[in-house]
Amino acid sequence: MIRRLVVACACLALATLGTGGAAIAADLARGEVLFHYCTQCHGDAGGGSLLARAPAIAGLGEWYLQSQLRKFQSGDRGTHPDDVGGLRMHPMSRLLRSEEDLQAVAAYVASLTPSRPEPVVEGGDSARGAVLYTLCATCHGPEGAGIQAFNAPALRTTNDWYLLAALAKYKVGVRGSNPRNGTAMLMRGMAMQLSDEQAMKDVVAHIMTFADSK
Amino acid sequence: MIESLVPAASSYAADIDALFTLIFVFVGFWLILCEGLFFWLIWRFRKKEGARGQYITGELKSETRWITYPHLLVLVCDLFIVVGAVKVWYDVKQYLPPAEETVRIVSQQWAWTFVHAGPDGLLGTTDDITKVNELHVQVDRTYHYKLESTDVLHSFSVPVFRLKQDAVPGRVITGWFRPTQAGEWDIQCAEICGIGHGLMGARIYIETPAQHAAWLMQESPISIAAVTRTRPAEE
Repeated sequence: MIRRLVVACACLALATLGTGGAAIAADLARGEVLFHYCTQCHGDAGGGSLLARAPAIAGLGEWYLQSQLRKFQSGDRGTHPDDVGGLRMHPMSRLLRSEEDLQAVAAYVASLTPSRPEPVVEGGDSARGAVLYTLCATCHGPEGAGIQAFNAPALRTTNDWYLLAALAKYKVGVRGSNPRNGTAMLMRGMAMQLSDEQAMKDVVAHIMTFADSK
Repeated sequence: MIESLVPAASSYAADIDALFTLIFVFVGFWLILCEGLFFWLIWRFRKKEGARGQYITGELKSETRWITYPHLLVLVCDLFIVVGAVKVWYDVKQYLPPAEETVRIVSQQWAWTFVHAGPDGLLGTTDDITKVNELHVQVDRTYHYKLESTDVLHSFSVPVFRLKQDAVPGRVITGWFRPTQAGEWDIQCAEICGIGHGLMGARIYIETPAQHAAWLMQESPISIAAVTRTRPAEE
């Protein structure tokens, strides 16, 4: 009797695992189809494009992608008049008509191999940036891998120009001034610690020295 | 006729609708007449036993009048259309009535930014109110708009106004409108401007004077500051 029960439980567990695997595969397939929209700006492999002002997104945490897509959809992010990239993402995020679509595309983008974008920002001093980065490391981790518990995304696979632009936006309030976006407001406070553009470049230069292993 | 499909909410919408109707009637009349005649001729001179086809050169007067008479009548119709079109074009695009207020419209991929004059009624002052994808105007008030584009060609289209104006990078294009009906309607981009073009929509809120004043109070930072400053005294 016990043996039969064990076999039945094992079969049920295997069936559940099998169904789950199929569901994930279906999500990724759906996500790949939806990702076609994203490739127009973010590139075929999600490696980003300076021309389109669209950052590398391949391999970012699924939780982070989901949260940002939801913020873009609701207008909590991407509705400041001076946020050029955000104003593009706000309507594009609304192409995802359901929560399932949002999760599918986030899962697909997270499954992509992170790129190692070529540095284009000049004039940063990574040694000075290392000192300044100690504050960032609290949430983003010592090597910029991101910490989900702090809602802090990975930084090391993102383009340096995007990081610099994002810090500048935080400093002037283009990002992080919407009270409905608590994490961005928190980040704005952190960005304010960087005194000037040189300090921002230094931090970005330091981030670019991190290993790109996932 | 058109108003039954899309409300008319600007001072010149009725004129544009009238012109559209005029063109529709003329073109419709000639379309039906010509197609009717065409099919009648096909039927009348269809293949018949013993009847041979003829090659007609079309040089006889009795034949050329089938071209010249309709041609002259179409030209008369064109005359009415041209006169109506020039009048509407002048009223909407050439003539610029004095503005009671000015709004700055900035188009970019894929959003509209509207800079409204604040409580002082002047644009370019510290109490300006900037909104993304929201244009707030007051009914029965003449507005000038200053239309800009920061990236590519866009077209500012407000169907209920029957207004469509291209936005060209590097240029500030001035136009006008006078809302005549309170309500909330669509603004859209009418020029292909990239993958997000179809999503580049906004809303226009045409408000009564009381509603608009309330909105100004709600949005104006100076008003909020003034209220905050006066609160301790009131208490």
